[in-house]
Amino acid sequence: MAAGMHEVLLMDAIVDPSKIPHNVTYAVLASVILITTALVIRRSLRMVPTGVQNVMESVVETFLKLTEENMGHHWGRTLFPLIGTLFMFILICNFMGLIPGFASPTSNINTNAAMAIPVFLATHYYGIKVHGIKYINHFLGPIRSIFALPLMLLMFIIEFIGHLVRPITLSVRLFGNMLAKHILLGVLAMLTPWIIPTLILALGTLIGLIQALVFVLLTTLYLAGAVEEGH
Amino acid sequence: MRKIISVILMTLALVCLLAPFVFAEEAKAAASGDSSVKAMAAIAAGLAVGIAGLGVGIGMGIGVSKACEGSARNPGATGKIQILMIIGLAMMESVVIYALLVALGLLMNQKLFF
Repeated sequence: MAAGMHEVLLMDAIVDPSKIPHNVTYAVLASVILITTALVIRRSLRMVPTGVQNVMESVVETFLKLTEENMGHHWGRTLFPLIGTLFMFILICNFMGLIPGFASPTSNINTNAAMAIPVFLATHYYGIKVHGIKYINHFLGPIRSIFALPLMLLMFIIEFIGHLVRPITLSVRLFGNMLAKHILLGVLAMLTPWIIPTLILALGTLIGLIQALVFVLLTTLYLAGAVEEGH
Repeated sequence: MRKIISVILMTLALVCLLAPFVFAEEAKAAASGDSSVKAMAAIAAGLAVGIAGLGVGIGMGIGVSKACEGSARNPGATGKIQILMIIGLAMMESVVIYALLVALGLLMNQKLFF
């Protein structure tokens, strides 16, 4: 980004960047890494975990606990693969942006929208699946009698806008963070001695982890709000 | 007596702080009307991120201070408080990231930044 619009990246050796853009090729690379790791671990499963299996088991346990805590036992189990996959994919994509010669696919808004829009559709799908037509009650606010019709209409409009903003804010938050980190690294590497971009790299690692966590936490909370049995 | 002196000093400080803006107005009026769009875009971009950072800085400060206070009262709940604090900070950070995107849009539109 500092020398011009076209940086030379690793995947240019395999696929031409003008035919398949960088975010697609690096997303495919992240998927290949994840699938290969999963297959390698599966082949040598042990009762007492060691090494990489230990790390993966702790990640899986954390997210299973998170989803079951928020969504109850049945829906926690059902929706846990989506949550876990999103987290691992976004984490690997964010960290790929820190390595020189790689680009992070999440610094392109198309990848983020491709993750946020299915989450948005999933919340409404599962909400309708659980509640049926009574899902509208979620939008109508606290008082639901025929006398409070103006309040219900107002709440409906506000909740509608709030729901529409969710995929936008999910994707733009991730996009903005990754883009800002990339630009900051590029500009600082051009201007200052080497210690300062190194510190920004450390900050960038933390930011990548936290943003992946926030995306997944928000997804969990939205899904939990849609499938909850309360009211 | 002390109060009067402090009021006078504060007024002086305020005048000193606001003087550059007045001079910038005069200079801008003297500049050509062609490049004033670029100049205003640059000022707007700086102000966008600056004011967003102001609000977010205050909000994050309050959030973290309450988290530290809660953790000091109840050290056993530190894990949960930490998670809530991280979520809150990421939410607030995203507001300043939106402002950064607006600023970048302004700068890129006027060809001031790539």
